[in-house]
Amino acid sequence: MPARPLTRICYVEDDEDIQRIVRMSLERVGKMTVEIVGDPTMAIEAMTAFRPDMVMLDWMMPAMDGPTLFRQMQLRPETKALPVVFITAKASQRDLDELIAMGAAGAISKPFSPRDLPDQLRAIWAKLP
Amino acid sequence: MNHSTTASGTEPALRSAAAAVADRSDPHLVLANRVEQLYSQLPLGIAATVVIGLIAALELREGRIIELVYFWGSLLLMVSALHAALYFAYWRSARKVEEGEQWLRWLGIGALAAGVTWGFGASVFFPSHADERQVFLAFLLSGVMSGGIPLYAASWPIFAAYAAGIAIPFTYVLATFGNRLFAEIALLVPLFYGISVAIAYRLNRVFHSGYRLRHAYGKLTEDYSVLNQRLEHQLVELEEARRQVEASGRKLALFAERAPIAVLEIDAQGIVTAVNHAAELLFGYAAAELIGGHVKRLVLPEFHADFDNNWKQLTETREPLAGIKIRNPRRDGIALVCEWAVTPLVNPEGSIVCVIAQGKDVTRQIEAERMQKDFTSTLSHELRTPLTSIIGSLQLLNSGVVGELAPDVSELTLVAERNGQRLLDIINDILDIEKIESGRLTMTPEVLTIDDVVREAIVLNQAFGERFKVRFQASGELPGRQVSADRKRLLQVMTNLLSNAAKFSPEWGTVDITLEERGANVRVGVHDRGPGIPDNFRSRIFSRFAQADSTPSRQKGGTGLGLAICKRLIEMMQGRIGFEDRAGAGTTFWFELPKHA
Repeated sequence: MPARPLTRICYVEDDEDIQRIVRMSLERVGKMTVEIVGDPTMAIEAMTAFRPDMVMLDWMMPAMDGPTLFRQMQLRPETKALPVVFITAKASQRDLDELIAMGAAGAISKPFSPRDLPDQLRAIWAKLP
Repeated sequence: MNHSTTASGTEPALRSAAAAVADRSDPHLVLANRVEQLYSQLPLGIAATVVIGLIAALELREGRIIELVYFWGSLLLMVSALHAALYFAYWRSARKVEEGEQWLRWLGIGALAAGVTWGFGASVFFPSHADERQVFLAFLLSGVMSGGIPLYAASWPIFAAYAAGIAIPFTYVLATFGNRLFAEIALLVPLFYGISVAIAYRLNRVFHSGYRLRHAYGKLTEDYSVLNQRLEHQLVELEEARRQVEASGRKLALFAERAPIAVLEIDAQGIVTAVNHAAELLFGYAAAELIGGHVKRLVLPEFHADFDNNWKQLTETREPLAGIKIRNPRRDGIALVCEWAVTPLVNPEGSIVCVIAQGKDVTRQIEAERMQKDFTSTLSHELRTPLTSIIGSLQLLNSGVVGELAPDVSELTLVAERNGQRLLDIINDILDIEKIESGRLTMTPEVLTIDDVVREAIVLNQAFGERFKVRFQASGELPGRQVSADRKRLLQVMTNLLSNAAKFSPEWGTVDITLEERGANVRVGVHDRGPGIPDNFRSRIFSRFAQADSTPSRQKGGTGLGLAICKRLIEMMQGRIGFEDRAGAGTTFWFELPKHA
């Protein structure tokens, strides 16, 4: 478990409504600092600037899907070490297993509960080395 | 008998062939034929004896001892009469063939008697007569002796006995007469005897083999006619078989010709030898264009390596291959996906006569499957994304993080959240059942401790129970009992059963969760104190969209898919599921899973 608490989250998501709900959930319920990125192609720059504790990626996005972005992050030294949690509506167990095998820290299926989301993220955070 | 034959290459072969033919004759029948020939000449012999005897008697009568001539004449007549009697007895006998040797013996005795009678005459009358009569007697005797050759030629021993009867006394008389000329003649008589017997022997051999051959050929003819009949019969059968083969061939050709699937006949080298009409339609080639060319023309070049592997396997194992999907180019360049069944026809020597390939166009089917998968995936995403926003917003409102709501507003947002959740449940259930029924739901089995799963399910559903003011209570722990199951799916089943039990339990009631061992299975029971299952609903409780029609159960919500999903999931985990009435009131739903060994 990392020594510091989980406070900075960067979320890459194209749907503006979900962006709003996640921001409200993490800021109001979880008391965290949130950076939302709507365009996945700008995500790596945004992460480099924001320096989050953890990254949340949406799976299906029009410009670039979550797994592709994840692979690109792993090629860049500044984002390589960041723990990544996927938020997905695909939700098949096999897909989730595949993500974990790729090195993702965890996966949360849509729809998630904004009341529980901060706790779910903290649980994943607690399991990290 | 073969002394006249010359040595030539073919003769031994001919001889052995003749011997083989002669061997087919029946020796009994050959003997019977010879006996019959001997007897058939008997009247001639009797007549000759009587006539010659009479002439001799007349001639000798002028001699001195007339009584002796009468005695000899009567002796000759008696021998002739006995011969006649033998002749008639023979022709009247019904057992000529079986008793051939017997008849031959009788005839031999008769011939010896006749010979002795003539010999007796010679020895008695020769010394007592003058020179002319002696010449007459000598002439008579040699005539009688040589006349015996054709008569008895069919059996040389009979002739030998007959001639010996004449020659021995006559020789004796000549030798003891005291005259030098007669003594010399006495030396010649045995020589003539020997020559006569030799001639008789040779004739005997000729007759014998003649009869043998006659019989053998008769038998051969008989055999040939039997063989001919058999051959004719087989020919008819063959003709019938040929007709049947032709008919089934036509039938098969018709099957292939009219079949809606492409049928190709290919030789062991991969050259197409025949195609049906469906193949022409499917690939856009005329039969004449395909026949004579390699079947690889119908395989996209990038799949040639795969094709070669399959073909190698086929020709090596000679086993049929089925379900092979190959991308086949049409003549117009469009690639089809066809599913092929390929069957080699192998002859009894083990080599491939031809290969029959039957192909079905599955391009559309594969496209439809892909579209269905895409559709489900898209539906899943497109429905869940807006629901995430709706339910998420309502949950944030209801949680109070954006401020306290007026009681009326709060009541409405709770209704909205609850129904949003319900809509989400329906979507999840529909997606689940669709996945199960299309065979796309995969299980990830792991070894689970059943106690832990049950406890986890209770914790997860505690909040739901509290909403219905129902308490979950576990009893009958089975520490350490393990099952092999998909954890997430097993929790889904437990959640379904627990939420059903909570929904139908009276307020402040308890739902009991029990664990017990049943043979090789572990049984989990969920017992409620609800109203029970209506009779008319029992038979279809595990069907899709099954809900009891009574209003209260409708009001409880649910999709009517939950138990159908539970049943399919449990069965996919090699278990079974059921329900029974609970003593007192209420219902028990249970499922059993095999214990992990």
